Amino acid sequence: MGTISLKNISKSFGSTQVLKDLNVDIIEGEFLTLVGPSGCGKSTLLRIIAGLEQQTSGDVLIDNKNVNRIRASERDLAMVFQSYALYPHLTVRRNLETPLRLRDYSTFERLPLIGNLSPNKKQKTESINQLVSKTSETLKISELLDRKPGQLSGGQRQRVALGRAMVREPVAFLMDEPLSNLDAALRVHMRSELSELHNSLKTTFVYVTHDQAEALTMSSRMAVMIDGNLLQLDTPQEVYDNPSSLSVAQFVGSPKINIFKGSSDSNGTVSLLNLTLKRKSSESNLELNIGIRPEHLEITNQSDENTFSATVSYRENLGSDIFFHVNTEDGMNRIIVRGIPQLTHEISSGSKVNIRRVSNKALLFNKEGKRVQFNNA
Amino acid sequence: MHNSKAHIWFIAPAIILMIIILIFPLFLAGGISFTDYNLGNKSLEWIGLENYEKMFSRKTYVKMIWATATYVIVVVPISVVLGLCAAMLLNSLRFGADIYKTIFFLPVMATLLAMAIAWEFTLHPTLGIVNSFLANGCGGVREFILGFHWLPWVDSQQSWYHVACANNMDFPYWLKQKNTAIWTICFIGIWQAFGFNMVLYLAGLTGIPRELYHAAEMDGAKSTWEQFKLVTWPMLGPTTLFVVTITTIRTFQVFDTIEILTKGGPSKTTYVMMYAIFEKAIQQNLTSIGAAITVVFIGFILILTFFQRYIIEKRVHY
Repeated sequence: MGTISLKNISKSFGSTQVLKDLNVDIIEGEFLTLVGPSGCGKSTLLRIIAGLEQQTSGDVLIDNKNVNRIRASERDLAMVFQSYALYPHLTVRRNLETPLRLRDYSTFERLPLIGNLSPNKKQKTESINQLVSKTSETLKISELLDRKPGQLSGGQRQRVALGRAMVREPVAFLMDEPLSNLDAALRVHMRSELSELHNSLKTTFVYVTHDQAEALTMSSRMAVMIDGNLLQLDTPQEVYDNPSSLSVAQFVGSPKINIFKGSSDSNGTVSLLNLTLKRKSSESNLELNIGIRPEHLEITNQSDENTFSATVSYRENLGSDIFFHVNTEDGMNRIIVRGIPQLTHEISSGSKVNIRRVSNKALLFNKEGKRVQFNNA
Repeated sequence: MHNSKAHIWFIAPAIILMIIILIFPLFLAGGISFTDYNLGNKSLEWIGLENYEKMFSRKTYVKMIWATATYVIVVVPISVVLGLCAAMLLNSLRFGADIYKTIFFLPVMATLLAMAIAWEFTLHPTLGIVNSFLANGCGGVREFILGFHWLPWVDSQQSWYHVACANNMDFPYWLKQKNTAIWTICFIGIWQAFGFNMVLYLAGLTGIPRELYHAAEMDGAKSTWEQFKLVTWPMLGPTTLFVVTITTIRTFQVFDTIEILTKGGPSKTTYVMMYAIFEKAIQQNLTSIGAAITVVFIGFILILTFFQRYIIEKRVHY
């Protein structure tokens, strides 16, 4: 229970194609993040899974059953919206009860007054009350049950929205940027809570975000989407260490990966600035983009064949780390280097520094942004 | 700062104007309603509640209350419900909504005077388009539909349409007949009021976030009726409150159609309060009884306002 397969999903709005032939298999119980810059189609994809939007072509399979012709309310999924979409006129308790009442009570039992005559209603009401109190205890919102959404803070509303999705046990949870309306501190806190919730519920989560940090911290697998294409679907570590293309490398990781212009000669030897790499490229005689993450560059006093010199233009102090924005001597590259505060606190903007690269960490991409591998030999 | 009298200067103009044009005439009318003053009289005498006694005992005034109540009770709910239905239908249209909006809103924009004259011709017993339309339909589809022959319990030989056809085209005289006049006036009132309600509801509908409907769908609200109950109706609460209040006050004030089409007749069946005030106080110079009717009229409006302010408002979510 809880597998979702997307087969050749395409979606066009008029003449603009927002999703281009996507294939995703979501494994039971995993926390899959759809991540990408705004406008990449990730929310549309989520809404296609939910059934709120109809795909132009392709199939959606939930638990190996084709649900193309099944409407959203019958797909047995739960969704948390970016704006939470709580019913503002109902108390928190009624908000949590709503999905249960709509599904468990028959039409007759939902009638006012006469509905109470139904013999099963009392029992059903009791089980609904139990589920609501269980959920509200899990989410620590028991004391809010009699308030209206308008009287809650952003974080509390977020919990209620989560609770409304949780009360019944759906096949999967769909979340559309649920943390984006929270302040920074609460967002970081909710990340860990959501991960814990996922661990205890063991239900499939499909989570949409534009924040690569959320994707890296929470997901068991992340799907990077750019311009309606699925570029890479893998574990966060793998996506970070081994991006399939330049755009993925640039999107994942903060601060951004540094890109140097370079080339490989006929032997496959890669050179950039005044440096040459030890490992050889698998493709020779090629113009290359060489990506090196800020943490794989370090500031040093020495100068040897693995260092290059640069001028600091801006110093960004985050407390635990200091990021130096530096210009290389040829003026072609503006790059970011991570420094350890204890060792680099006296360096200010304007000073000249030597930068050493950590070996075996560079990533090669060709001119089109495709990944180029190193020779293993 | 605490001793500043500036606030008085800010509110004084409004208060003075209100006293001169609202409160003072109100109390004046209240005072006159307890006297026998008629316009032009040199003196007046305090007669206590006599005017009010007349109002609740004389047939004319009882008929007045009936006519007004009928008009309000029929026009308000129907025009509000129709306005809501029209707004929801137009909201779901992809094309042509603007044309319908214009058509439905036209009666609101047009001068009621001109519209009433048009209705007078339309409903004329012998020359009117309505009755000639009915007469031409005898024995045809029109008779079947409008005579309710499609209802299983209606005897097609006994239906009102069939009987009228058989009796030498004896169709209703609409505005000139005791048992149809008030309903015809109600119909015109609904026709005139619902476009305005529709526009207000259209504005209200655009204010409902689409995500709420999606949330309702995800929560299992399958039918349109369930989504309406869960989202549309409660979210339109403030709009409904406003629409009902304003429609009620406007229907209480109905005057132009009556003045042009029926003059309160036939036999006072359309003798609504506003027309009674006009007839007594302005046309017949019976100022004191006109004042008494005005006081009752204001009483009704006050009760309504109170009802809206303290009872409904508590149940509406903003």
